[in-house]
Amino acid sequence: MGCPRCDTAVALKKPPQERLLKVALLGNPNTGKTSLINALARSALKVGNWPGTTVERLEARFLHGGREIVLVDLPGAYSLFPTTPEEVITRDELLKDPPDVLLVVLDAGNLERSLPLALEATELGLPMVVALNLVDEAREKGYALEPRRLEAALGVPVVPTVASRGEGTMALLQALLRPRTPVPAVRYPPAVERAIQALEKKITHPAARFIATALLAGEELPGFKAAREKAAELQKALEAIGVDPFLEISGARYARARELFEEALLGHNPRPTLTEKLDRFVLHPVLGPVLFLLGMLLVFRFTFLLSAPWVDFIGEAQAVLAGWIAALPLPALLGSFLADALVAGVGTVLAFTPVLFFLYLAMGFLEASGFLARSAFIADRLMALAGLPGRAFIPMVLGFGCNVPAIYATRTLESFADRLRTGLAIPFMACSARLPVFTLFAAVFFPKNAATVVFALYLIGLLIGVLTAWLLGRVLGAQASSGAMELPPYRWPPLRVLWMQAKVRTMNFVEGAGGPILIAMVLIWALLHLPPGPIENSLYARVATTLSPLFAPLGFSDWRVVGALIPGFIAKEVVVGALGVSFLGAEPSAALGLLAGAGQLLSAFLTALKETLGALLGLFGAPQLFAASTAPSGLQAALGRVLSPAAAFGYLVFVLLYTPCVATLAAIRQEFGSRWAAISVAYQLTVAYLVALLAYSAFPR
Amino acid sequence: MPRIKGEMRRLSELHVGEEGQVARLATPGRAKRRLFALGLRPGARIKLLRRAPLGDPLEVQVGESFIALRRREAEHILVDR
Repeated sequence: MGCPRCDTAVALKKPPQERLLKVALLGNPNTGKTSLINALARSALKVGNWPGTTVERLEARFLHGGREIVLVDLPGAYSLFPTTPEEVITRDELLKDPPDVLLVVLDAGNLERSLPLALEATELGLPMVVALNLVDEAREKGYALEPRRLEAALGVPVVPTVASRGEGTMALLQALLRPRTPVPAVRYPPAVERAIQALEKKITHPAARFIATALLAGEELPGFKAAREKAAELQKALEAIGVDPFLEISGARYARARELFEEALLGHNPRPTLTEKLDRFVLHPVLGPVLFLLGMLLVFRFTFLLSAPWVDFIGEAQAVLAGWIAALPLPALLGSFLADALVAGVGTVLAFTPVLFFLYLAMGFLEASGFLARSAFIADRLMALAGLPGRAFIPMVLGFGCNVPAIYATRTLESFADRLRTGLAIPFMACSARLPVFTLFAAVFFPKNAATVVFALYLIGLLIGVLTAWLLGRVLGAQASSGAMELPPYRWPPLRVLWMQAKVRTMNFVEGAGGPILIAMVLIWALLHLPPGPIENSLYARVATTLSPLFAPLGFSDWRVVGALIPGFIAKEVVVGALGVSFLGAEPSAALGLLAGAGQLLSAFLTALKETLGALLGLFGAPQLFAASTAPSGLQAALGRVLSPAAAFGYLVFVLLYTPCVATLAAIRQEFGSRWAAISVAYQLTVAYLVALLAYSAFPR
Repeated sequence: MPRIKGEMRRLSELHVGEEGQVARLATPGRAKRRLFALGLRPGARIKLLRRAPLGDPLEVQVGESFIALRRREAEHILVDR
């Protein structure tokens, strides 16, 4: 065979023994790469992010055969001619920071589809090893394969593995120490081949042949200026004789992949798989949506029921700390700062961690098991009404529990535009923190129609959220993202990796959003407590009084009612507490002894543990829909005196819609940047004002 | 929508369970490369497995892959029987 680039020198050069051996895993999505790195790395596995992105990066560093090995999992790719942001990361990493060994992971049960990527990889000029993974699934599908024929054809070691059971991992580790640099395995039609070789001469890079094909096919590659100009010239010349370089290059790769597949195939006796059988139910036109809704309910309950006991525990711990601080001989203002600003601030941040952790577990399971793609399939048409893809359904639904995890759940969407549009719609979903405000006002002003009023509020939020997503799509001019996606086979995900991912993602929240939340808490504390004295003389009262005329058109201008909106920025339920303080005065926390506090903490911890177990058992029980307000009756009476029912409804609409709470805002900033966080505040304040005005004016009197 | 002639049909018009061979992708722009990467390319055998509850998207089988496609995208894929 006329070898276009017989660079065997690379293969013969032995890697220096003392140096770190960097191994990168390359493979299609859903080829079990995560399971494989988990099996290879065991306890050495670390979860992080690719720099500057939210794309997860798995890495492991360990000793094997006297060599220190670093394994890096590259984002799943169908091709090194990228069509997704993940594929761009993978290609750029391979070109900018090439590994010592490239470990290409193939899906034995879908071999023909996974081979083109391996063929592209042979053009990178890197020592290579192939893991023929999922040989168990291939057998179940009725395939008989001969890995040695693949080995002979590719010229690199091929090791059969079943990563989920750890089979073949020892052989694979051994093979990683003896990689071979393959001869580029694809031959292109003569005209294209000549153009590639002419281009290669202009490129000084070990992956010159791959880069030449990419430039010729019109791929956008950073750098390689001289070669790019030459490529444009060659491209034109080829097109002039009726040759489309992209079609010829990819066509030749697919054709070679087919040949290799047929060479390795001993026989095929097709058998329906578990996935096909299950999908008859899961994707059934009638049964599918029912199962889908039940599944959503389960995710929702898993996230919020299992985390609730730990949120309560954190609240309890916060109260104990406040009690201890009250027992210290401190000046009142300092004590209040410690308890109400610092402890409360840290408590607020921590209170989100159980919710996020359980959410990430649930989402990780859905995604890795194959269910997430199915739910996107089922919900796609419905979400298209808002111009959103099916995957936006889950984040939107989670928004009704808590907006913060919902914002982070948008990460499962593919394009930034889709994530942003969903992310800015989510804060309009009436989260559970808004319910205490709703129930308090409903009890005072609409005792007979409480449920109707609260339901109307949920509906208003949902409608405005959907409208926002739709409008934003118009404004951004974002074309509808492609709905083309793989429905991967159902698989049991590596739970250890899910657990680690959930932990790391939760920590990302604390690090990224913790600071802003804490700062906001301190600022609002300062407003409420400075200068020291009765609340009527505070900065807070002054700001509220200045702002209140603004709200006269909405029917409420009492400074105490308007003012409560400010601390409501921390979490909307705080509105109730702030109203209580303004109308009835503050209750100082009672001093607590060291031992009494410790006892309280311990019993709270045990309660949380017990309730988590209870929640686990009760996951499938009937949901509790509506709880009566527990606000003090003094507050209820006071509110009744200062507001009319129409004004109360306007106020509720305003509370529903105005500004995301600080934690949601911090999440929006983390995901979409400061500019979009600022825009979302300005936009929501405007929308809240206008809709509340409308609600107040249109309210039946 | 692309024009079609002879025995060719749009993928979106196949009956559930029907099979064919991809003849041509009239998909504009980069989306075509995405479909190629997923295995939807001229010459590939393709089978319409089902439609989602509201008639959109569709699920097709190409080799051992199961791919979901919006109807709009399927209209651009021409299939020979």
